[in-house]
Amino acid sequence: MTCRLADNVQVRKESWGLLFYMQTRHKVCFVRSGDWLYPEHFDGTWTFDGIINDIAGRTDTPAEIIERALPRLTERLTKKRMIIDEVR
Amino acid sequence: MKYADWPLSAPVNITWEITHRCNLKCVHCLSNSSQESPGELDFEECRGIVDQLAALKVFEINFGGGEPLLKDYFLPLLRYIHTKGIVTCVSTNGTVLTDEAIECFTGNPLVNVQVSLDGATPEVNDRIRGEGTFHRIIKGIERLAGRDIPLSINTVVTSLNFMQLRRLKEMAVSYGASLRVSRFRPSGRARQSWEMLRLNTEQLRELSDWLGDDLTILTGDSFFSISQDGRRHLGLDMCGACKMTCCIDPCGSVFPCAFMQEREFCGGSLRETTFKDIWDNSAAFKYFRQLEPEACRKCPRFDSCRGGCPAVAYFVSRDLNSADPECLANWSRDASPAPPLEGR
Repeated sequence: MTCRLADNVQVRKESWGLLFYMQTRHKVCFVRSGDWLYPEHFDGTWTFDGIINDIAGRTDTPAEIIERALPRLTERLTKKRMIIDEVR
Repeated sequence: MKYADWPLSAPVNITWEITHRCNLKCVHCLSNSSQESPGELDFEECRGIVDQLAALKVFEINFGGGEPLLKDYFLPLLRYIHTKGIVTCVSTNGTVLTDEAIECFTGNPLVNVQVSLDGATPEVNDRIRGEGTFHRIIKGIERLAGRDIPLSINTVVTSLNFMQLRRLKEMAVSYGASLRVSRFRPSGRARQSWEMLRLNTEQLRELSDWLGDDLTILTGDSFFSISQDGRRHLGLDMCGACKMTCCIDPCGSVFPCAFMQEREFCGGSLRETTFKDIWDNSAAFKYFRQLEPEACRKCPRFDSCRGGCPAVAYFVSRDLNSADPECLANWSRDASPAPPLEGR
């Protein structure tokens, strides 16, 4: 499964994480993800496991910790309609 | 944690006053517009600014002025911005719409159009926007309505149109538009009409109740200082100047917001330095980011609003450390017999 930005949503990297912007409702969503996540992770090509491996490789964070935290974060973004899950 | 505590590498949105030229002379005009200013940016300069904003991933540009549609290169500039994927909002007085403009707006997912109307009748609107403007504005709205254009009618709330707000909402709905209400602030030409047109305490209270009861009315961040908790949950809860937003004037100077275009608050000129340099390094912007008005720090609502609108506080008192005179806490104290706001 991969995640991609919902239609009419943009995202940019900030020092503290990611800033999502929904253009139809002019709403923003602040995600304090530090250097874990980058906008590219939501381009529809990254699998969940791929994101975990990428974060673990770049940050030396144990994969188990990422596996626990990442679903909570993506569920929140899905609930806010910033991203959508895609089954490939 | 409030968004003010999350430093941004660039604004979320920018207000860009593209010209001071306007065919109307509204009594509350925040930028005192009528004639084009000497030295307004040319098309190539604007394109260069857009390139900078796109590189910084600024999400949205809100065009005002002046009347943007009177700028000869406005539509080409708009099209250029759309090639960068930046969302735009065009604030127009609705009286100079051309077929080309309507075609540019229609079916364009990157365009929102906001038409200014300051009364539900000619008697009220025309006292603010000028003789004969009501019917011309309505014609403009009718040309835009029913097309695939996200449309809102914007009303600056004053003592003149306060009693017509419900009718204005109905009018907006009848055109398939949203009603957006903006706060009357004493900047630009509005300084002369401030005492006459500002809302009194009871009107502010009633407005606060109305906005709290109808969350479909758009406000931007205009009324965060009088917003009750239900509306605050929409996220419109404090001044975004220099944190989320800023303003570019027609000559390329960058200010904290459209209502704070005093020389002393200028962050810099885009003819002299980059937007990023101004956003990150200007003394004025750094000052606004840490501004916590002394008069508000002990207020129990301080964490909710961080001191209301600095523009109103400044233009009324000439002191950025004074309280917003229209903030909810202030008028709650003044109108003591009123019921408590909590638990509404």
